[in-house]
Amino acid sequence: MKSSRTGREGLTAYLFLSPWLIGIVLLTLGPMLYSAYLAFTSYDLLSPPRWIGLDNFRRMFTADPRYLSSVRVTLVYVVVSVPLLLVLSMVLALLLNKGIRFLSGYRALFYLPSLMGASVAIAVLWRQIFGGTGLVNQVLSLFGITRGSWVGSPGTALWTIVTLNLWAFGATMIIFLAGLRQVPVELHEAAAVDGAGPIRRFFSVTLPLMTPLIFFNLLLDTIHAFQAFTGAFVVSRGSGGPADSTLFYTLYLYQQGFAELKMGYASAMAWTLVIVLAAFTGFLFLTAKRWVYYGDER
Amino acid sequence: MRRRIGTTALACATLLVFAGCNGTSVTNDNAGGGSDGKDGKGEVTGKLQLTFWGGAARAQKTNAVADMFVKEHSGVTIDRQNADFGNYFNKLNIQASSHTLPCVMQLQGRQLNDYTKRKVLLPLDPMIESGAIKVDDIPKEIVDTGRGPDGKLYFLPYGAAYDAVGVNQTMAEQAGVGLPPDGYDWTQYTEWITKASAKLPKGTFAAGSRGGLPNFFIAYQLANGKQLFTDDGKLGFTKESLVEYWNMWEKLRTAGTTMGADAQADEPEGAEQGFIAQGKLLTDSIPGNALTPASATLASKPGEQKLTTLPMPSGPSGGGNAMFTSGFAIPTNCDNIPTAAAFIDFFTNNPEAGAAFKSDNGAATNQKVLQAQVDDPKLAPLKKHELELYQQIVAKKPPTILYPPGYQATFESAFTRAYEEVAFGKKSVQQAADSFFTEANAGLGG
Repeated sequence: MKSSRTGREGLTAYLFLSPWLIGIVLLTLGPMLYSAYLAFTSYDLLSPPRWIGLDNFRRMFTADPRYLSSVRVTLVYVVVSVPLLLVLSMVLALLLNKGIRFLSGYRALFYLPSLMGASVAIAVLWRQIFGGTGLVNQVLSLFGITRGSWVGSPGTALWTIVTLNLWAFGATMIIFLAGLRQVPVELHEAAAVDGAGPIRRFFSVTLPLMTPLIFFNLLLDTIHAFQAFTGAFVVSRGSGGPADSTLFYTLYLYQQGFAELKMGYASAMAWTLVIVLAAFTGFLFLTAKRWVYYGDER
Repeated sequence: MRRRIGTTALACATLLVFAGCNGTSVTNDNAGGGSDGKDGKGEVTGKLQLTFWGGAARAQKTNAVADMFVKEHSGVTIDRQNADFGNYFNKLNIQASSHTLPCVMQLQGRQLNDYTKRKVLLPLDPMIESGAIKVDDIPKEIVDTGRGPDGKLYFLPYGAAYDAVGVNQTMAEQAGVGLPPDGYDWTQYTEWITKASAKLPKGTFAAGSRGGLPNFFIAYQLANGKQLFTDDGKLGFTKESLVEYWNMWEKLRTAGTTMGADAQADEPEGAEQGFIAQGKLLTDSIPGNALTPASATLASKPGEQKLTTLPMPSGPSGGGNAMFTSGFAIPTNCDNIPTAAAFIDFFTNNPEAGAAFKSDNGAATNQKVLQAQVDDPKLAPLKKHELELYQQIVAKKPPTILYPPGYQATFESAFTRAYEEVAFGKKSVQQAADSFFTEANAGLGG
């Protein structure tokens, strides 16, 4: 009697779960498996896929300089923008953690860019701000500095996208802020009694207790940075230019799949990215044992 | 976090696979309407899907013509879809992969063979033979721009555009250089640019940094009698001619005669917002039918400046102009061929439809429709100039370029990028020409 009731409850539970289950099988797992198959084919969307074994992967690493260029651009972006974002978010969270007036107003204000996110509209605005006659150059000209377009020059275009990413610091900052509120005041007081100044207290008390959240944000922001697309697409108008200086991995993947109709190659690129991200995540988890502290547990 | 990684995979995979999950062959000739439907004959009724590129103004005119067609054929309903030029073809590719291409789809010669290669279009020749589609009033060389490599007609050109050299007349007069002489060639053009450059006001340039503009290069090759593409769709011109061409532009750029490469990269999209329309350039290449909108933008700036257009520079082989036609095609998956054929015929040949569309996407290819517009006393002078220049160019029987599959995705983007690398000092002209040839020949033809 009891087991039949449990079984009925289980069935009901699965019935309620079925929309999600059907969705994940039909719209996620199925397509994923199919794209894994496509990675080993030559497929132009309009003709049937043709099996070519590892040719797509071989071409990627040995015969496609633009692919390597996209990897280089993306790595520079990840290595520069993620640490900058973490530091900026932490600094602002520390400032907002003080008992200053209008604190909640500042918090809302600082979070606002994240609500808008790195959207298309903001990226379009970025193009205007960093253009030859944009706001940045107009301000610089007040100090007698004249220079050309920031988005139009290969030397600076990538950095405008890094700033676009930094601008949406709110989500990372809010997580840090929540963590800072949890740091026990008595630890700070004890350290202060022992003669520790604010900087020493930050590095010896706050920072170690914040490592789980730093780990969390590092992971999320890095994955996000590897996937960056919108900013580069809008700022370079889909070209990855000037001179491939903003050719992000996902942008090149998009070009290959939808402009050049090389969907097999694009699938191979997508799966390579998945594997790299999985490896990177695994690596971070391995290193986490050495630098992430969970309370009294090491 | 794991979920986030999952999202990474899924975002890419879903995107890719959604596009491809129906990736079975579309080469089966299973067009609706039965075999007899392929001559375009049959009852004109039922639902029709129409897709085209263009902004709000063109959509309004296209919709007006579609409404006229529906009014003439009770029982027909038309579902209209439009997108901007860049996204239009991405969307079309997705629709092609899922056998859902709209029955009436707009195409250009530059992309035509991406689709003929994959056999997703119906030849229109049987519909012309049956009289369902008429081409009597369209010049043969214009009709031929809708043909694929097999000689069959795959889209019926309704509008013929040409590239022109735009000149800011006011600026030219103020600089005391006037217009380039009739029948001017590339040497005269660059000398004229150089002469004007010294006399232009601060903040303006004689020309843009245009070594990476494919259409200018095509004009240069045509004027010099060079072949653009081989029969198997590879590059038909020599590397030396490309080096010579880029050296010409580099000489102008390094002398400060043209705008810098970084400033050029800032140019807004669309001819009506381009630098020449903003009064920043004396001359630039613009689509011939952009004279009216670009002039409207320029008129909104101080100085009451005026624009005009000239044919492309000529050369030893004559003019440098080619025709870029736009027209409608019918895909093999169409299940209402008679109505699609009737619509295409109506859009291209009906005088009232032509009057409503007003040569919005290049001059009307039907000569009677075009002449009616040229003769219309109410026609705006700038539009009249656009259409008359078209008539001048077409009278010289410009060559038809058979664009190979991959032209837009490979040739255009690689050409622009290769010159960028020169202009930004990343490669020498010779190195850029080498890498362009390698990349273009690998991606073209297929």
